[in-house]
Amino acid sequence: MAGVKRDGGGAGAERLAREVVRAAASAGEAEAEAVAASPFLYARVRARVTEERRRREEGDGWIGLLAVALRAAPAAGLAAVVALALFLSSGAGELAPVGGLGYDAALLVEREGDIEQVVFADARTPSPDDVLSTIIGEGEGSR
Amino acid sequence: MDEAADITPARAPVSASERADAELAAHARDGDEAAFEELFRRHRRRVALIASRFFRERHQIEEVVQESFTKAFLALGDFTNCRDASFAAWLARISFNACYDELRRQKRRPEGALEDVTEEEAAHLRERARGASDAEGRAVSRDLAAKLLARLGPEDRFVLVMLDAEGLSVAEIAGLLGWTASKVKVRAHRARAHLRRVLGKFL
Repeated sequence: MAGVKRDGGGAGAERLAREVVRAAASAGEAEAEAVAASPFLYARVRARVTEERRRREEGDGWIGLLAVALRAAPAAGLAAVVALALFLSSGAGELAPVGGLGYDAALLVEREGDIEQVVFADARTPSPDDVLSTIIGEGEGSR
Repeated sequence: MDEAADITPARAPVSASERADAELAAHARDGDEAAFEELFRRHRRRVALIASRFFRERHQIEEVVQESFTKAFLALGDFTNCRDASFAAWLARISFNACYDELRRQKRRPEGALEDVTEEEAAHLRERARGASDAEGRAVSRDLAAKLLARLGPEDRFVLVMLDAEGLSVAEIAGLLGWTASKVKVRAHRARAHLRRVLGKFL
């Protein structure tokens, strides 16, 4: 026995190990027979097949959507590039300068006057005579 | 051992039952429900016995049976009677793989502490290891053996059962698991050493 302990096994332990494996492998045979004889086993297998099939189809649905998205991405990118090229080649990208300045400069230039000055810069300013004649004209009309 | 011959790739002329299996599989693949039920009826016992090589509890065995037949049904399109030895061999391969997956799942969620080996059981192991004549008539009990084997990892346990209980060759195990033959040999060597160490604690 001491020899068995010392070498951690030896021939006896080796034989015993094989015996243990075989005995353990046959430990569930009675349960296996009972499982195989179960009258509801096939129904449970069918239910599982149905569930697994549904799960796979759902997975396929997501995968299909992903595949469509992946296929659509290059096409969308190509369309964007074409649209940009057309936009640039039409000259629409070059905005007309305002007041002799470039577009950005016109936007960023510091205004010296008030808003009214900007809005009515090119408009004709009514004179006091114009205002008076308008008032008189309205008064005569009402009579 | 004779059951293990089911997965031997080389085969004699196709028997009537195997031919019928192949025909049933073809019908089942085309949606014939009754054909699949007949295949299930023929092979359920074998699949349950394969599961019992690794598991003792009824719910574990049933889990493997359900998983095996579900995978088989959904993979019927892959089955061809020419490539595989037989439907039985093809199904056995699926079942062994389901057992292996289940063993690995159990490793990730252990079901509690292992039961201790009693002093009486340890004494019996010592007698068996010595080859004592009074112990010859009493084999290692299945309960004790299951407790000892439960101390091994899933890979060790799987390889040892396949070699010593199912009687498969290294090449067959390698084919089942997609391992190289060298890996199976190394794993088997380590598994035997591990089991000897486990036994050594009681000897």
